[in-house]
Amino acid sequence: MTEGAPQNVSTEPSKSMQEYYKLQQELLVMVLILSGIAFVSVWLVYGLNIALNYLLGACTGVVYLKVLARNVERVGTDGSKRVGSSQLALFVALIILATQLNQLHILPIFLGFLTYKASLIVYMLRSLMPSDPS
Amino acid sequence: MDPLVAAASVLAAALAIGLASLGPGIGQGNASAQAVEGIARQPEAEGKIRGTLLLTLAFMESLTIYGLVIALVLLFANPFK
Repeated sequence: MTEGAPQNVSTEPSKSMQEYYKLQQELLVMVLILSGIAFVSVWLVYGLNIALNYLLGACTGVVYLKVLARNVERVGTDGSKRVGSSQLALFVALIILATQLNQLHILPIFLGFLTYKASLIVYMLRSLMPSDPS
Repeated sequence: MDPLVAAASVLAAALAIGLASLGPGIGQGNASAQAVEGIARQPEAEGKIRGTLLLTLAFMESLTIYGLVIALVLLFANPFK
């Protein structure tokens, strides 16, 4: 008999954490949808070159959000209260790449990167709406 | 590049990134510390607390990103040279 051992130790994520994973997935889907809509709009208005620049920024934004979510998931589990800042390195690398290569433009890449923020705002607005009673 | 413009740009980049990371740094530290305390007190609300922390940190970190963009543009694609 192992006294003092936790009763419900399991490798499965708890029900509470399922909510967090659902939030992550919702944000990811929303970023992808918004990026797709913006990519097509930019393609139609400014051409394929600028649209591909935008897409590069949007893809980095998605990876940034995933890395941030992973870092938030790790907070408190290894005894530290700090959130890692490795996600910022991605952005720095992207902007340096955009400034060094002639084919890339800074502004569409930066605005593409900020698509993740638009999705956060949409998510916040959606969560403020009264939920469907059915 | 004019040495005065180069020096001013480096100084401005240092100030931009320094000041832009000061406020969000303090805010992120406070938010994550409170979140860890909240999870320790109420482990059943872990998912909700971490979700709120994720959204809060993403909003706060975008302020650092704005400063970072200004600093990197001044250093690598200076419009005043």
